[in-house]
Amino acid sequence: MPTLYDFDLSADCYKVRLLAAILGIPYDRHNVDFFPGMKHLSPAFLAVNPLGTLPVWDEGDLRLCSAHAILVYLAERHAPGGPWLPRDPALAGEVQHWLGFAEGLATSAGAARLAAGMEFDLDLAAAQARAHQLFERMDEHLWFREREGGNWLCRTLQPTLAEIACFPDVMLSEEGGIAREDYPALRRWSDRVKRIPGFEVMPGIFPAKIGA
Amino acid sequence: MSDMTWVPVANASDLAPRHVFQGRLLGQELAIWRADDGNVNVWENRCLHRGVRLSIGVNTGSELVCQYHGWRYANRNAGCTYIPAHPADAPPHTICNRTWPALEQDGLIWTHFAPVDPPRPESLGAGALALRPQPVAAAPELARAVLAGLSPEGFGPLGQDLVASGPAGRLRLMVQAADAGRAVLRGLVLSDEAPLPLLRRLSLVLRLARDEIERRAATLPVPAPIPHRSERVAPELAEMPEMVSGPARIRVRVAKKQIVGEDIVALELAGLRGTLPASQPGAHIDVALPNGLLRQYSLVNAPGETDRYVIGIKREAQSTGGSAAIHDSLAEGDLLAISEPRNNFTLRRDAEETVLIAGGIGVTPLLSMAAALRDEGLPFTLHYFAASAETLAFGERLALLGERMVPYLGLDAAQTTLALQGILKGPGADRQVYVCGPAPMLDAARATAAEAGWPEAAVHFEYFANTREIDTSSSFRIELARSALSLEVPAGRSILSVLQEAGVAPPSSCSQGACGTCMVRLLEGEPDHQDVYLTGAEKAAGEKILTCVSRAKSDRLILDL
Amino acid sequence: MSPQTQPDPFMRDQWYPVSALQDIAAGTPRVTKLFGQRVSYRREADGACSASTEDRALPVLQRYGCLWTSLGTPGELFEIPEYTEADRRNVAAGTVAVQVSAQRGIENFLDMGHFPYVHTGILGALPHTEVKEYNVEETPDGREIIATECLFYQPMASTVSTSGADVEYIYRVPHPTCSVLYKSSPLDEKRLDVIALFGQPTGEESFRGHMVLSILDDVNTDDFISYFQLHIFGQDKPILENQMPKRLPLDPRAETPIRADKTSIMYRRWLTRHGATYGVIPAQG
Ligand SMILES: [Fe+2]
Repeated sequence: MPTLYDFDLSADCYKVRLLAAILGIPYDRHNVDFFPGMKHLSPAFLAVNPLGTLPVWDEGDLRLCSAHAILVYLAERHAPGGPWLPRDPALAGEVQHWLGFAEGLATSAGAARLAAGMEFDLDLAAAQARAHQLFERMDEHLWFREREGGNWLCRTLQPTLAEIACFPDVMLSEEGGIAREDYPALRRWSDRVKRIPGFEVMPGIFPAKIGA
Repeated sequence: MSDMTWVPVANASDLAPRHVFQGRLLGQELAIWRADDGNVNVWENRCLHRGVRLSIGVNTGSELVCQYHGWRYANRNAGCTYIPAHPADAPPHTICNRTWPALEQDGLIWTHFAPVDPPRPESLGAGALALRPQPVAAAPELARAVLAGLSPEGFGPLGQDLVASGPAGRLRLMVQAADAGRAVLRGLVLSDEAPLPLLRRLSLVLRLARDEIERRAATLPVPAPIPHRSERVAPELAEMPEMVSGPARIRVRVAKKQIVGEDIVALELAGLRGTLPASQPGAHIDVALPNGLLRQYSLVNAPGETDRYVIGIKREAQSTGGSAAIHDSLAEGDLLAISEPRNNFTLRRDAEETVLIAGGIGVTPLLSMAAALRDEGLPFTLHYFAASAETLAFGERLALLGERMVPYLGLDAAQTTLALQGILKGPGADRQVYVCGPAPMLDAARATAAEAGWPEAAVHFEYFANTREIDTSSSFRIELARSALSLEVPAGRSILSVLQEAGVAPPSSCSQGACGTCMVRLLEGEPDHQDVYLTGAEKAAGEKILTCVSRAKSDRLILDL
Repeated sequence: MSPQTQPDPFMRDQWYPVSALQDIAAGTPRVTKLFGQRVSYRREADGACSASTEDRALPVLQRYGCLWTSLGTPGELFEIPEYTEADRRNVAAGTVAVQVSAQRGIENFLDMGHFPYVHTGILGALPHTEVKEYNVEETPDGREIIATECLFYQPMASTVSTSGADVEYIYRVPHPTCSVLYKSSPLDEKRLDVIALFGQPTGEESFRGHMVLSILDDVNTDDFISYFQLHIFGQDKPILENQMPKRLPLDPRAETPIRADKTSIMYRRWLTRHGATYGVIPAQG
């Protein structure tokens, strides 16, 4: 059984848990006390991942140390040719665009959340301002996608890894003091993501159905 | 000022199915949502219980549910329909969210804060497209000033009224004053151009206008936000009420009269003005009939069916004039007076399984319950006893229940008891039973449940009527602890009528010991219970009494009135 | 709202936690906020801790795994007698900053009705939503609120059974921004685990919650206990940060209490009676 080195409140770790839940991939969860214990810097964890970052996906001879690398691997390994990572050149490019965009969300909205909730020493105001810029671009993109009859970030009929990669930092943004009131299309998109079969929540995110 | 005219607060396309839109007008936070029946609700974005934003709640299609404690608010009237922490209680009518008018026109959702509806905004015409809204962090007046100076290509200068016409078509921009320092630029366009490129072009116009507005705002002081204003809740709610009911009379119109089974008609009653008060599964209303009679009918309404009350009436062979008057004389368009819904037959929704048992027209409250349970995905079965397939009422509603409705047709008394024994076999923890039907069947169900070992608290009854003979021969005194009154109840008169004469009566409804409305707390004395409403345990406890039929075995009773 | 708002005497003259002791290394001072004021604290070479504002030294207390200080003249800190029982494990499970008043945070901590909705599958589960009647009273000296015989359905109520059952809770509010909860231990039904939330009001509309446990668990690691508490608190956080207004309203007609809210009703009255104004919206007249 693969092992996920995981921190419950990490948006990056949640990306992996979310895709694994949707695809029905079993794994063992190894809790690393990133906060408050800072155990990602412990010798034991540095032996697993010298970079000291989470998540880590360990399948014995394979060890992947970045959320998006794990998403790509899991999609290709467990749903090859499926909708999550399209083979069509244009669509494959679009997915990669949004994986890169999601990195920007992590260093803006994600950083604001670490600064506001867990008191990391980061520039909160700058992170919030950058997150608002990115949210606005996403909202505009999604608003016109809806006008074209599309539901998802890429021009696909089904959700892709773009959704999985962007969703967590968007949904957790209020913890970083970033309201989503000004982004109605983004709010509708996140409602749709919550209705993907197999969807799973994490603390800070509510399900689309009460008490689910 | 913009709060005295209709103001656009959302695009119609913002109200996706089962979604809750988060909006703001003049500092007031709004939760805007569309029910499955198409109705648009503009509410204060706040659960009355603990102030949590309803925009993080769930739109079930008929109700909005708060994430924090699962309080449910009904489409249209915004009344609270269920408080899960107290599953056996009916929420007071006064728990009602604050609402504002909603108008859908030209692809925009409009509202206003004026005391009466202002004139409708002028339509831009059929085929108008709503632009992508553009939020701005600046005072609305500044936003207006900048927009007035724009001259979008193909449309020409906008000017003070923010309207322009040109070769590209007609354009109208609007500024939604979200807050003192926040605005949303909205717009409508009527044009022959291909929609998507046009909308993209105008979206860019608004975005650049936003940049200009915010550039100018940066040189000005930031206005203080307008504080969100909530109304205080009703005084009695602050006192943690157990249950509240009022004598309000509501005028309704018979919107529809329809045969829904052999000798059964359904009436749909629509409010003459405003919204109807919220009801819950199990609730009934008093209907004052044109011939002066007052009758109680259970509501059949499913969750979200809030624009009317639906009741079902069977023609009774020995009708004292109630059912015959409705069947024969009442027509669509007629006016009636009814009471607010009252609920003495509340549906708990914390059971693992719910068993509904209906006899004949007693199915009406159970239909309402079944629809609520179905909507919430809770397990239940409706066992429906009827004389024949033709007498099954409300076939369309029954069809929605599929295999969860089990009919029992043409059974005699012995066969009915046998069937009930099968249904009520093996009481389980966390199972609840609701029975409504004619008295002999209810008595049989009650006895069967007791034999099978069901706890009384898990078996809920609603009698249509008390068919027992009421003995009014006793005479006694009643003392009212809180009013410090002492009154004589002579033979032949009820406690209720004596209380009414003294002006201290509780609300009442059926006057025959069946509905529970006139119940009061008994502080001292031995009651002579003659009702069919209280359970055996409640009667034995001697803490409550139905004042319309019950009397005293002792010389006096002390009532908590 | 403004950081200049001064705490009322009742709020000011209390001890407040500023850090878990385990998070204070010797040497460089750390900075936090209390009532909007900058407070720095440090551990000296000899193990003692100190705290100060820009212009004066503050009193300090090391108790219940935290460093406590005060801007006023505090009395005795409340007692948690269980904390010193020899066979218990005391765990500082983490500190989380929340953008809502500390009193809103305490009221949420006292609330059982949200378990099936917010802590689904852990502290509650649908359809078991009923808050049964319970007792709540003030201690005779008026210093503390205690709610007893609080029962709520919990799925997987103990480690030895997989089925759900009612779990009993006792809640204490001995301090305007601290609460102590007792809950039957899953390992020893006759004894109670202690879970405390110590609130540090950093501003009128923000606080840091320090979670401290004193439990009979000798199976789970500190990491797991911390994981569990952060998971629960992480579920409460978006609710708290979506409450309007952010300060706790003390006007009885500001919100709609029900019988299940008896403890919070008493808590709000208790704050009113003591003249609390900081972090709350006082009742008018
Ligand atoms: Fe909670």
